Amino acid sequence: MTGVVLGLIAGIAFGYVITRVGATNPEKMARAHLMMEPAIPQFMLTAVAAAAIGLTGLVAVGRADLSPLPTSLVATGLAAVIFGVGWGLTGYCPGTTWAAVGEGRMDAVFALLGGLVGTAVFAHFHEAIIPVLYGPTNVGKITLMDALGDSRIAATVALVTVFGLGVWAIGKLWTRSYDA
Amino acid sequence: MPETDETAHPSEAEKRQQSARPREGAPYWPWFPSALALAGIILFVFVTHGPPASSSGFVSTMNGLIGVVAPDYVADKAHYTIIPGVGSWLMAFVVGMAAGGFLAGRISRSRPYDVPPIWTRRIGASRTKRYLATFVGGFLILFSARLAGGCTLGLFMSGSIQLAVSGLYFGVIIFAVAMLTARIVYANARGGSS
Repeated sequence: MTGVVLGLIAGIAFGYVITRVGATNPEKMARAHLMMEPAIPQFMLTAVAAAAIGLTGLVAVGRADLSPLPTSLVATGLAAVIFGVGWGLTGYCPGTTWAAVGEGRMDAVFALLGGLVGTAVFAHFHEAIIPVLYGPTNVGKITLMDALGDSRIAATVALVTVFGLGVWAIGKLWTRSYDA
Repeated sequence: MPETDETAHPSEAEKRQQSARPREGAPYWPWFPSALALAGIILFVFVTHGPPASSSGFVSTMNGLIGVVAPDYVADKAHYTIIPGVGSWLMAFVVGMAAGGFLAGRISRSRPYDVPPIWTRRIGASRTKRYLATFVGGFLILFSARLAGGCTLGLFMSGSIQLAVSGLYFGVIIFAVAMLTARIVYANARGGSS
């Protein structure tokens, strides 16, 4: 029960912020993908960098529950390609469909329904797919710390630097030059 | 701001204003403070639950829906037994997101388009075509997110925040492929708008 209440509180806050910033608007997402408007990718990368700094602090005081996902070279990579096609086509990702449905977007209702069907189809074939695509190239729960002497601080600095440069570059490169 | 007709051809200035603002609503929040607010919410989730995720909420929901008619089937399938079902944090989170989107829409008084203007200009105003495309796209993003174990939030953002290579690897590819796909989808489908 506590889990439900905490999940609802977090979900309402999360959905509220991503809607107010425009991440649930597929028009803005399309313009982000077409390099016409920098705000949404800058918002996403900055949120990751800021949360990474905060999480490193929480880990230092022993308050965070970490469980990074493993990397499967084939499954994670192939999934990312399929995901990118769906994201570029619709302007929605799984989380934003829920908030966009709440906001009253009818095209998001269909994205949500398609998502439920996609989930059911994957779940049906899970036992057949995972051993073939995920297992063989699963290199485990590797993190940036593995390359940086197991130092969480060094890895966080590296991540924040790269994401910060990304935010800067997006601000420079995402212009209205490709008008649609 | 006067009401803009979706079928009219807006001027360049109007087009810009449309994309920057929800139709007839309050302006969108600036990205930087919003990102800090989102980071705060994500950290709250890490402390009170664990890494945040959205695509798992679809699994919990389907578990509940299919479980009504075929409880033996969901009890037998690995994917439904790995991910917590109805009544879990995961499902509460996605339901909460819909509620958050609803509140934001009412408070900012947005009246969203069912077909984005850029889609109307480039592909056409057909709702059927747009809904079919978002249904297919929704299928693709969830099928693939379940294969990878997470989505934009549960794998790219949660993973990168935890410094995981999986999140960064997934993130680079989804941005690159989505940008390429958008170029193809919105390229000249109707002989251009100029």
